[in-house]
Amino acid sequence: MADIAVTDTSLARTRITSLRRFGRSDARFRALTFLAALLVVAIFIGIMVALLRGAWPALSAFGWGFLTSTTWNPVTEKFGALPAIYGTLITSALAMIVAVPVGIGIAIFLTELCPRPLKRPIGIAIELLAGIPSIIYGIWGLFIFAPWFQQNLQPWLIDRLAGVPVLQDLFAGPPYGIGIFTAALILSIMVLPFITAVTRDVFETVPSALKESAYSLGCTKWEVLWHVILPFARTGIVGGAMLALGRALGETMAVTFVIGNATRIDSSLFAPGTTISAAIANEFTEAVGPLYTSSLIALGLILFVITFIVLAAAQLQLYILERRAGGRA
Amino acid sequence: MNDMRPVTPNVRVSIQNLSFYYGRFQALKDISLPLYDRKVTAFIGPSGCGKSTLLRVLNRIYELYPNQYARGKVLLDGENILDSGQDVNLLRARVGMVFQKPTPFPMTIYDNIAYGIKLYERLPRSVLNDRVEHALKRAALWNEVKDKLHDSGLSLSGGQQQRLCIARSVATRPEVILLDEPCSALDPISTAKIEELIDELSNEYTIVIVTHNMQQASRASDYTAFMFLGELVEFGLTEQVFTAPKNQRTEEYITGRFG
Repeated sequence: MADIAVTDTSLARTRITSLRRFGRSDARFRALTFLAALLVVAIFIGIMVALLRGAWPALSAFGWGFLTSTTWNPVTEKFGALPAIYGTLITSALAMIVAVPVGIGIAIFLTELCPRPLKRPIGIAIELLAGIPSIIYGIWGLFIFAPWFQQNLQPWLIDRLAGVPVLQDLFAGPPYGIGIFTAALILSIMVLPFITAVTRDVFETVPSALKESAYSLGCTKWEVLWHVILPFARTGIVGGAMLALGRALGETMAVTFVIGNATRIDSSLFAPGTTISAAIANEFTEAVGPLYTSSLIALGLILFVITFIVLAAAQLQLYILERRAGGRA
Repeated sequence: MNDMRPVTPNVRVSIQNLSFYYGRFQALKDISLPLYDRKVTAFIGPSGCGKSTLLRVLNRIYELYPNQYARGKVLLDGENILDSGQDVNLLRARVGMVFQKPTPFPMTIYDNIAYGIKLYERLPRSVLNDRVEHALKRAALWNEVKDKLHDSGLSLSGGQQQRLCIARSVATRPEVILLDEPCSALDPISTAKIEELIDELSNEYTIVIVTHNMQQASRASDYTAFMFLGELVEFGLTEQVFTAPKNQRTEEYITGRFG
């Protein structure tokens, strides 16, 4: 009896010391992870402050007019952001219009229709496409795609659409090869693997019992896809598309190569233009004078805000979709 | 269920010398079995005995997956459904299926039911509404959902979702309804409701139920097929199979000595 009591107390003592040790290491671990989390916030605030301070001279000199002015004249030091904002939004929007349906199409093919032996090779090809550095897309776009586009597709489109209202203005000559439309197409190729990969992953989370239920009602493949798989996956697809859009908005190198870098707004999509990131990349080294530099930083700030709005809109959209889908926790 | 008709019921589905393969593995061995019209037939047996596989042959849902094929005949109203000329979509409209876990579609309660109907029939709105209401009443769900038909089907409880799936199956007016362990994810009260429903539905439909639950098989079915390792060991009236099994393995299984 006495023996047991002795071992009991010593066991209790070692347990207490162990617990204290665990408590200390837990506290240390918590502090470490908290610091890591804090770091993200600190970096975010740091970037915001740096951008605001850098952009301040330009913003105070031009006021709200900076957002609406189309002038970009380094000689007279008059700067306006509208052409760059327009170029950024229009190239990204066009890229999404092309890439989202194609990406969903590829994902549908890969998950539902593809013969088994082809599944892996195509999947790997898509992933490789995502791994190509953007500078390669830029070079390819400038030297291969743009000349081909200029000689073949552009003249054909301009000819065909002449006389069609609205479209004839959107696709008006001369065929430069480079320009807003070319940049948008290159962008769409760049975000395509992204959309495809996310969409495919979402499709693969659709429970097979759900698909089987639809087939059990006598649905065709198309009906199952359209009415069951797509609605089930829609939140994920929207999320993936928004991430891709975020990437397209900020894409610099490839766009700079093929957009033509002209700070103007033309009604034709074939005309050269610029985007925020292309303008910054092109002009930062040659920006003389504080106002010029500050205007470029202000452009960066605007891009930051646009991306933020897009991501916020994506979150909101997801929230609404989830609410509509109901009780899916 | 207990109205013992003097005449033997008609055979609705006749399974003849059916074998089934997952690649090289033979999961069903030469099964022959009738499914009687407007009767409930239960498939019982230990896990892996092939009862779910047999069920999945009856609407050819196995064909969604590669390397699965069936040999033999399954006659539905005298017509071999395994014929390559058979339209599978039509077949599946005639042979409905309900799964182990509830699988409501990501749409409203109303649309969950209306969807299957609209696949094969073009109906005016009022008729469609009646059909939806009727199906939900058949599945004993109407009173619980009539005020929230336009809520998502996913907002219902598990038992309600399963009854929604049964309603969805019933709504397309199939001839045969296949139930693959329909209660295994449900609580006892929901289970009781579904068993009641099965009894009710057997007045109109030929029903096949796969179950692990011996009590459920004895309560809810008219005929029972006991399967073991891909073979049909015994088939007969449920009462006979449970009270006087002819085969020793059947007896051992239903009394809980193995399985």
